[in-house]
Amino acid sequence: MSTIALSINNKAIGPIETSDDIMMIEFLHEYLNMTGTKFGCGVGVCHACTVIVDNQDGTSESVRTCINGVSRFNGKKIRTIEGHAKENEFGEIIKLSPVQQTFIENFSFQCGWCTSGFVNETTVLVERLKLMPIHVSEVETVIDKALGDHVCRCTGYVKYYQAVKELILSTAGLTRP
Amino acid sequence: MKIKLTVFTLSALMLAMPLTTHAAQDGGVEQGKYLAKLGDCTACHTIDVGQANGGGLPFSTPFGIVYSTNISSDEEFGIGHYSLEDFTEAMRGGVAPKGNLYPAMPYTSYHLLTDQDIEALYRYFMSTKPVKQQNRDNDLMFPANIRLGLKAWNLVNHDPKVFEADADKSEKWNRGSYIVNGLGHCGECHTPRDVMFAMDQSRHFEGELIGGAEASDITPKELNRQGWTKQDLDDVLRKGYSRKGTVFAGMYPVVFHSFSHLTKDDMSAVTSYLLDNDAEVAAKSDIFNGHDKTDPGYGLYTGYCAGCHGVDGEGKPNVSPALIANATIDKAVPINTLSVMLNGVEEQRYSHTHGFYAMPSFRDTLNVKQLTDLTNYIRKVWTKQSSDLTESQVQEWVDKIEDSIADAAH
Repeated sequence: MSTIALSINNKAIGPIETSDDIMMIEFLHEYLNMTGTKFGCGVGVCHACTVIVDNQDGTSESVRTCINGVSRFNGKKIRTIEGHAKENEFGEIIKLSPVQQTFIENFSFQCGWCTSGFVNETTVLVERLKLMPIHVSEVETVIDKALGDHVCRCTGYVKYYQAVKELILSTAGLTRP
Repeated sequence: MKIKLTVFTLSALMLAMPLTTHAAQDGGVEQGKYLAKLGDCTACHTIDVGQANGGGLPFSTPFGIVYSTNISSDEEFGIGHYSLEDFTEAMRGGVAPKGNLYPAMPYTSYHLLTDQDIEALYRYFMSTKPVKQQNRDNDLMFPANIRLGLKAWNLVNHDPKVFEADADKSEKWNRGSYIVNGLGHCGECHTPRDVMFAMDQSRHFEGELIGGAEASDITPKELNRQGWTKQDLDDVLRKGYSRKGTVFAGMYPVVFHSFSHLTKDDMSAVTSYLLDNDAEVAAKSDIFNGHDKTDPGYGLYTGYCAGCHGVDGEGKPNVSPALIANATIDKAVPINTLSVMLNGVEEQRYSHTHGFYAMPSFRDTLNVKQLTDLTNYIRKVWTKQSSDLTESQVQEWVDKIEDSIADAAH
């Protein structure tokens, strides 16, 4: 058994006793009842299970939870799909994040299984561009590099691609002419 | 350079005899096609977007970039204008009609081929589809860009003699030696280079860092110590994966394009030679020393590795190889353990039903302390190797890996 304590969506979780051999997605689902992160291929290929890990140096990285054990996240600060939208005191969603909003407006996804992974990866991308803006001509390449590994089997990639491109180009400070 | 043809020994003739079956019917074309696969010729002489044998693949060397040439039957751009004598001179002496070849072309191994096999290869290449693709100029620094210098290099480093069988060994062993050291040109990567960048035959097959990974020590001593059986070697060379782990880095295309095509008899000869034993070798029991939850590497293993390689290192079929019995981690110097952690491994498909998923790179995720703890832990649990490597040792190996040349030529 291991003792796990971490921050998820700015809330302190644990210490919780867990089995040594469970993957992070099992911890989210079975110990915390946080089922927004989806289990897809289970072997790190589809990226549906991606969450955000916020590093101490201010950078963030996306990490797949189906192939990474819970011990990798011990003591870390992470964000999951449940933490993006703003909620009122009753836990009701009152405002989506800009990334969620652009995906909705472009009808980017259909069944929704891959959505949490896309939202987290795109959020990491947008935050990185805030720190390190790119030239307008690089936008398409950067989107492809950041999101190209995420698998979606409903909408054919075109709509999420358009959504992210729109968001990057319409958000001040992410690109330079 | 005048080539000195040695007199065939009786054994060398015997080695070539089974290969002449087709020769009487088609001039050796079919046999040459098989031999070209053993030599892996097309892999180096073809670019991703090009036609087979059209050349143009770049090889980074310490002296600049060498491009492979068009070896199709095209008379203008390829080797269609070569006579058999020209072809023999290129294969054995490293001298083409246009001048000396750079030893990125492994004539330093191919010289061992018998006349019959060289002729079969020649007949095959003359039958290939002509490719209208111009050769690229090499981009080499002075003085390596002067081909004349290669004559001097050959004089010092190249002895173009034909294979001679070892009378103390079996016919099968000799056949394996002929394939492995000749067309297989295994030593070009697996034998360390000396100060002249020639294969150091005093350290034959002892392994060499190349392109970010180590072409492993494949001496019989090391392979037998690691517990390879003939079947394990057959599996890994034919299929790319085995009880003892998988091929990766530069060895994957070798299996895919070349060794997977070996006949059963030739593969048996190769494995007999590599293990220095004609009989099957008994498998050693797999090592699993059990986990040590107090070790700093335990949390790293369960956090970063166990998801794919299994909590007890059992692996997942068609996803990731087992660590139990894996030869890659069972080496005195953990270059390849560190190499796969740093560089990851690309997805590898061996057939429609078999393959392994990509292993991610942990270059930006694990620091040297973590790499050290994890490497020590893996050695402690699944090998009999020492598990007291220091951070400074690991840093030194990491630096060597990072400095090794990407996509190096042989």
